[in-house]
Amino acid sequence: MNATILNGALTGDCAVDAVNNILKGELTAQGWQVRSWQLREEKIAFCLGCFECWVKSPGLCRIDDVGRDVAESVIASDLAIYLTPITFGGYSSELKKAVDRSICLISPFFQRIDGEVHHHARYKHFPRLLGVGLLPAPDTEQEDIFRTLVSRNAINMHAPTQQALVLYNDRSTDEISALLQPVLFEGRVLA
Amino acid sequence: MTIANLPETRHAVLLVGSAKPEGASTSQALGEALLTRLTAHGIAGSTFLVQRVLRTEERIQQLLAAINTADIVVLAFPLYVDTLPYLVTSTLERIARHRQETASGSAPLFVAIVNCGFPEVAHNALALRVCRQFARQAHFTWGGGLALGGGGVLNGQSPDQAGGKARRIMQSLNLAADALAQGQPVPEAAVGLMARPIIPAGLYMLMGDIGWVQQAWQNDVLWKLGNRPFAERIGQG
Repeated sequence: MNATILNGALTGDCAVDAVNNILKGELTAQGWQVRSWQLREEKIAFCLGCFECWVKSPGLCRIDDVGRDVAESVIASDLAIYLTPITFGGYSSELKKAVDRSICLISPFFQRIDGEVHHHARYKHFPRLLGVGLLPAPDTEQEDIFRTLVSRNAINMHAPTQQALVLYNDRSTDEISALLQPVLFEGRVLA
Repeated sequence: MTIANLPETRHAVLLVGSAKPEGASTSQALGEALLTRLTAHGIAGSTFLVQRVLRTEERIQQLLAAINTADIVVLAFPLYVDTLPYLVTSTLERIARHRQETASGSAPLFVAIVNCGFPEVAHNALALRVCRQFARQAHFTWGGGLALGGGGVLNGQSPDQAGGKARRIMQSLNLAADALAQGQPVPEAAVGLMARPIIPAGLYMLMGDIGWVQQAWQNDVLWKLGNRPFAERIGQG
């Protein structure tokens, strides 16, 4: 089984990087092959909104940079993990840059899913989606936005299952491991 | 802020969050249509394209300075993958950090206009919640949000030049500008008018799909639209 972690930590964001290492360790210990992308250290251009990945070079972004490799890594995975400091309830800019570049994985054509319009899948297999967000302290509204965003992304990116987990920055490594293990190995995301 | 204590010369800053070239985006068209209406109320306006702002630190500082003296900040952006695009998120991170570090005491109105390429306006709801969180954390006064579904119908055209299909959009912007000029948030009536579908969802899907086929035909890739370039390498060949 393969997992891809998109680490959206901003510069100096030690807590997110620590969770990245814990996630990697937990999955590796269970025999997973893990590819973790430290997005702030990669040179990834932002999505131009040109739709050339749909109508000019279908399935491939016109920008030939690491963003293509990240998209390929995601679609090659059984589990994609969006790891981020929760930013106004959503993803950090570093994570969002990579997520925006992933629209090459879906088709431009419309379909209805549960009565709502979305895009068709391009590939036969899409990874399950786990969102892990960090906050300095509990915040009901931001946590709800984050969970909703992960669930909405799962619909648009055709993830067969999804789950969102919110952690607080002051948790110890042991506490985070204890919270992650049931989500990774017993929760609905890998059920 | 109420009409009684409004400053004599007021300023509005428009932030355009699209990555498309200047003058080509629906976001810019909607934002400038609102800014034009605010100008008619005697409010001075200035426009910043975030894709240009983020290129240099000097431009970022110019934007932060403009916001420091603004009474109204309008953010107009397209929905990308259910929420704000990278360009907008990155800009808002900078603005929030600046305002948290240098609390000026002023709390300008912050208004968001979002449009999406799906026919249903509901896709935009989450993005507006993110904008509201930003406003709270960056010490703005939440001035409300306008959301448009089926933004592809405008396709970068100004609603003032788009004829009857944009009639309710113009009505919405008129109401919003009237309220904002009085220091009030966007009224529910404006939100409702902007949210009304321009065309039925089924027709939008049909027209959209035809549009993709036409563009693929022009690019000589019609038979490659379903390509899966990563498939062989990941065992989906």
